[in-house]
Amino acid sequence: MNRKKDKGFETPLFLNVLTCYVMFIPHTTHQVVCINNINFQRKSVIGFVELTIFPTVVNLNRIKLNSKQCRIYRVRVNDLEAPFIYNDPTLEVCHHESKQRNLNYFSSAYTAAVSAVDPDAGHGELVIKVPSELWKQGDEMNVLKVYIEFSLDQPKGGLHFVVPDVEGSMAERGAHVFSFGYQNSTRFWFPCVDSYSELCTWKLEFTVDASMVAVSCGDLVETVYTHDMRKKTFHYVLPIPTAASNISLSVGPFEILVEPYMHEVTHFCLPQLLPLLKHSMSYLHEIFEFYEEILTCRYPYSCFKTVFVDEAYVQVSSYASMSIFSTNLLHSAMIIDQTPLTRQCLAQALAQQFFGCFISRMSWADEWVLKGISGYIYGLYLKKTFGVNQYRHWIKEELDKMVEYELKMGGVLLHPTFGGGKDKDNPTPHLHFSIKHPHTLSWKYYKMFQCKAHLVMRLIENRISMEFMLQVFNKLLSLASTASSQKYQSHMWSQMLVSTHSFLKSISNVSGKDIGPLIKQWVDQSAVVKFFGSFAFNRKRNVLELEIRQDYTSSGTQKYVGPIKVTVQELDGSFNHTLQIEENSLKHDIPCHSKSRRNKKKKIPLMNGEEVDMDLSAMDADSPLLWIRIDPDMSILRKVEFEQADFMWQYQLRYERDVVAQEESILALEKFPTPASRLALTDILEQDQCFYKVRQGACFCLAKIANSMMSTWTGPPAMKSLFTRMFCCKSCPNIVKTNTFISFQSYFLQKTMPVAMAQLRDIQNLCPKDVLNFILDLIKYNDNRKNKFSDNYYRAELIDALTNSLTPAISISNEVRTVDNLNGDVRLILEEITRSLNMEKLLPSYRNTITVSCLRAIRMLQKNGHIPSDPSLFKSYAEYGHFVDVRVAALEAVVDYTRGMHRTSPSEVSRTHPIPYVVHKILSMLGKNPPFTKAAESPLCNEALVDQLWKLMNSGTSHDWRLRCDAVNLYYTLFGLTRPSCLPLPELGLVLNLKEKKAVLNPTIKPEQGPDTTEMTGITMGVHIPGLITMETVSSVSMSSGVAPPPQGLKRKLDSVVGPLGSSSPEPGQVLQEEDTSKKFKIRFNTVEEDEIDMESPHDSQAFIHHHLNILERPSTPGKEPPAVDQAVLSLPVTPLPSSFGKESTSSSKHSGDHHHHHHHHEHKKKKKKKHKHKHKHKHESKDKERDSHAFSNSPASGRSARSPSMSD
Amino acid sequence: MRAVRYDMTRQDVMERSGCGKATSSPAENYQLARRRTLQVVVSSLLTECGFESAEKATVESLTEMIQSYISEVGRCAKAYCEHTARITPTLSDTVVTLNEMGFNVDTLPGYAKRSQRMVITAPPVTNAPVIPKALIAGQKRTHPSHIPSHFPEFPDPHTYIKTPTFREPVSDYQVVREKAASQRRDVERALTRFMAKTGETQSLFKDDVTAFPLIAERPSSIPYLSALLPSELELQTLEETDSSEQDDQTDSENTPVNNLNDDPGADKENSVLLAGSVVPLVKVSEESMIDNPYLRPVKKPKVRRKK
Repeated sequence: MNRKKDKGFETPLFLNVLTCYVMFIPHTTHQVVCINNINFQRKSVIGFVELTIFPTVVNLNRIKLNSKQCRIYRVRVNDLEAPFIYNDPTLEVCHHESKQRNLNYFSSAYTAAVSAVDPDAGHGELVIKVPSELWKQGDEMNVLKVYIEFSLDQPKGGLHFVVPDVEGSMAERGAHVFSFGYQNSTRFWFPCVDSYSELCTWKLEFTVDASMVAVSCGDLVETVYTHDMRKKTFHYVLPIPTAASNISLSVGPFEILVEPYMHEVTHFCLPQLLPLLKHSMSYLHEIFEFYEEILTCRYPYSCFKTVFVDEAYVQVSSYASMSIFSTNLLHSAMIIDQTPLTRQCLAQALAQQFFGCFISRMSWADEWVLKGISGYIYGLYLKKTFGVNQYRHWIKEELDKMVEYELKMGGVLLHPTFGGGKDKDNPTPHLHFSIKHPHTLSWKYYKMFQCKAHLVMRLIENRISMEFMLQVFNKLLSLASTASSQKYQSHMWSQMLVSTHSFLKSISNVSGKDIGPLIKQWVDQSAVVKFFGSFAFNRKRNVLELEIRQDYTSSGTQKYVGPIKVTVQELDGSFNHTLQIEENSLKHDIPCHSKSRRNKKKKIPLMNGEEVDMDLSAMDADSPLLWIRIDPDMSILRKVEFEQADFMWQYQLRYERDVVAQEESILALEKFPTPASRLALTDILEQDQCFYKVRQGACFCLAKIANSMMSTWTGPPAMKSLFTRMFCCKSCPNIVKTNTFISFQSYFLQKTMPVAMAQLRDIQNLCPKDVLNFILDLIKYNDNRKNKFSDNYYRAELIDALTNSLTPAISISNEVRTVDNLNGDVRLILEEITRSLNMEKLLPSYRNTITVSCLRAIRMLQKNGHIPSDPSLFKSYAEYGHFVDVRVAALEAVVDYTRGMHRTSPSEVSRTHPIPYVVHKILSMLGKNPPFTKAAESPLCNEALVDQLWKLMNSGTSHDWRLRCDAVNLYYTLFGLTRPSCLPLPELGLVLNLKEKKAVLNPTIKPEQGPDTTEMTGITMGVHIPGLITMETVSSVSMSSGVAPPPQGLKRKLDSVVGPLGSSSPEPGQVLQEEDTSKKFKIRFNTVEEDEIDMESPHDSQAFIHHHLNILERPSTPGKEPPAVDQAVLSLPVTPLPSSFGKESTSSSKHSGDHHHHHHHHEHKKKKKKKHKHKHKHKHESKDKERDSHAFSNSPASGRSARSPSMSD
Repeated sequence: MRAVRYDMTRQDVMERSGCGKATSSPAENYQLARRRTLQVVVSSLLTECGFESAEKATVESLTEMIQSYISEVGRCAKAYCEHTARITPTLSDTVVTLNEMGFNVDTLPGYAKRSQRMVITAPPVTNAPVIPKALIAGQKRTHPSHIPSHFPEFPDPHTYIKTPTFREPVSDYQVVREKAASQRRDVERALTRFMAKTGETQSLFKDDVTAFPLIAERPSSIPYLSALLPSELELQTLEETDSSEQDDQTDSENTPVNNLNDDPGADKENSVLLAGSVVPLVKVSEESMIDNPYLRPVKKPKVRRKK
């Protein structure tokens, strides 16, 4: 794309009616991103961007752009040096009154911070002052070219470097880097307008080592060697207008595979994985064909690239014309279980190419349309490829998941509207976070949001038919592709953005139907419907009296008024009735079509036209009703609790052909442990016509029923004879057949049955000896030599079965668990587990599934008191360097341990090498399985923990939206919305001497301090949970500051030291353990000393903050700072720091605004240290102060910006 | 002359003393008895000569010498006799031999009738050693008509025809499975135990660290490789189960590596990376047709000096 041509375009008319802000946003038409140097050793990136901006207002004097963690060296506008301010309020969310520890306060502050840099509202972290020479040109509406030089050093967000620690060159080591982020996060790696609604064309240049490949969006125009022939430059051009948020990059020594069926599609994977890539991608063209066919539209980009990277942020992320996947999706032809999952991921990625990348959204409130459409067409693909059963099962699963979440957490609102700009009226007061921005959302909420979006799309389809639905999509796509080909007429480009309004308009245009009520109910309103149904049969009138009640008062529920479908299976056939749910009518009379009859032998017609023989002896002689279903098509987002007799559920299970109905009846039958239920379930298990997931469900239900029927159960343990008949040798029934796994249905059943059987219990509440021996035999006789599929998942499930068979050990007076008093059965189990785990070291299984199962089993053995509870094994498996599944399983065990033992020290876990995914997992697992909750008292709930977690979400996770929201979630789970009860009262907090706690002023708080004091000496987990979190999050920074042992030996102090950095603080005891490691960190930053600074002086606090921010933005490896960076710092003009805080006068516009503070900071620190009077105070206050002062400096509201060069320069 | 002979035989003694110990078989007994007689002879001769005592080693050496001498006489006599196509040596054969060995036969009668000679008892009668019978397996072949009957017999058939020595294999399915399973389990257990003993371990119990040893986990730099790539064992299984498919693929896929390397335009790093690994199928058949920007050659930088 030639930049010169841009000048030639006419007046843009891009004015968005929906957001009044847009008028003031200068419109970007073209952007060049050039990354000259990617240093894997130092994990740094240097480059520049050039934005071609069309000023839409006269006298444009400021340009706001988004940029995070980049260091900006210079900004030029039309070749003139321009002063700029760099100010990121999200770095540290709460500055004022940091005694505030309540989440409501945090959430509103965080939302304000995010809003303050929201590109959709025309804001940004980087404010560039247009040189006055250019002001007058504004009248003539000339383009502005904004040229920004920037660098990134050890980015913690946006770009992820994977550099394996082995010998060889970077290419040989398989080092690679890729961009990542949650929602619009491109600002993390280059300055841009980081909005999905700001489209422009792109020219992307990446100079990388000659052994590497740079994969990015758009067409690769050419690859040119540099003059020294050691590097090459990849030139990409993306002529289709694309939002910056959809731009991505990945660089690595990738192996290249050109799709055999479509040469414009290229796949990339890490060295040695090409055979896997070939197999995994062999299916992709079919997905392409499917989407192109249903959408009657070509794939919008001229090429498509898939890149498989290690340590991926999410499994699938889609960007314009490329998708980044986790390398763990790759599999060989031997793997069964992963195959459908990988294909589903590919299908999701491709669906998002059409809706999400090519078609972008107008605003955050319109996100649901894109997620909905891509999820919906992905569902169509599922239906076509995996069958209707799988599709309906998936829909039910998604619906149940979403309903469960909404009922628990309150509603999910798809299309929030915010009246009047300022969000005084929060549409979702029940949530502990704001849904105004994607970046403030809880990850779980966002998942459920996506879920709901595609379910609502399905509801729309139900209303207007699929044909119309696809026509609407086609219309959106064709409008967009027409617009995209319109070069330099950016006002047309808004056609490529979808909004709720435009979407609904095309629905009504295409279908002529009014879906207003539907949208109002599910899109503009949150919550789901909860039905309770029961019925009575009136024999005299031959009428079914159905009663449907609703619960619309509890959280997450809403009232439903409208039609509902009820299907009644009678003796004479199946009949659909549409009832109207109205305000006051609960009862509905449904006339029955058939009289009851007992003796007539006649086939019974089913809904699908099939006629079957039924044994009708079980049913009520007076009633012709076989079963009743409410809303069988799931056309309402609801939960139905329906009461009908057990035989009706049994008939429904046996004869209803819909998998959803079968699954519902399986769930219901759990409550009816009778021989008839047992028979019905066994019949389903044996029926190979039946959908395998239903049969899997039946296994678990049967186990539950068997346990309830324990005293009356006859015959061998449930499923044993069935399994023997299906999977064991005819001649010797105790030996399982050699594996073939040719029939996948039986494979899944074979995997599930032992797991379910292991849940059986005898009268002593132990797993029956028969069952245990049976499972052990299955393991023993497992023979996979003749199988062309791997049996790793099967073996893993057998280990899971062993885990399931475990019951609590009979403990005699809390004795220590030793080898000698190991129960005989447990000894056998443990032997299998150790052998399997050891074999994994020699012959690792795919995705180390067996290791994962073994770790779970060991945790279960510990939990049940068979072996001593000890997290050290899990901690070692949780270290960096293990396969991610193993790490997550190990961390899960550690988290579980934390909960069970109420004391732990799992802090060093996963210390090195932050992988965002793993940290995210830790936080969400802690949230799911919290060591304590706000309701329960716990010695762990103490001030240090509150502080740590607060710090983590306040400043420690500024580089990753998802992590910050995870931390918020955890805080919410642990402490709730209000101020944690373990904290001292706020007024007292001011004077509370934390160092010498015995001198607490107010006796009322003393009891609460009790556990805290003990914590000072002993090791409790208080600090360690966040330690666990932050170690990885903040990595080197936290190490450098947090681990350094306090020179004064102030243990308490140490905890607070860590705070400002959001880093982990070691417990006193832990410090001892870590002394070796800490020594090397100690040298680096004298954070402990920094803590001593008297924050009274604004100057100092300012320096202090900047130092911290500096660290946060620019983490460095423990050990030494990259020398080049140091030079860079030194070479920058060191401007004297403004002595008065109010007047941030002069400083050079060239530097990024924080380096020089570093030096000053040290000088002042020394002076002020002596001033420090109250050491205790500082525990609470120093941080607070610093935050206060920071607020002044960084809050956009304050209007001052201390660390940036003056605007009035 | 005596001295010389002494030297010669001494070696023999030394050689023989190395073996002939710890015997109990009839053949050995037979030889021992005769040897003892020889020792008696030597001792009596020494007494005749006026020695009162002799070292055991000396007696042994002399015995050896005398035995060698007698053996040599016997061997030569037999040779002479066979030379004249006879089977049994005659007196003349012995005489010729003795003469040949430098012994004057005429002195023999005089020496035999000397006055001071001692009478030596005959060696005890022991059973002559039994020659062990050769293993006879199967029927020996009789000579065909054209071979005279005095020719040696044919050897046992097992020496030149195949020997069928097999037992009926266990074909009971249950037993086979049982065996296979326990064998595999034993191998696995032994192997893991060995690995655990030779390397670092982790333990589940604090009181007895050897109880259920777990091979210590070892973080790897590139953990996904071992987790994703099929192990060699699995690959083997795969090859066994559908070797035909595999062969087809590898055959067609191996060729393009050369093509690619020969192609001057191929990406430098591509060829490096792809060499050795498998190259996409497409590149073979339709290499010329594919126009993928990532397969295009890397351009040389423009040289500005020329301008």
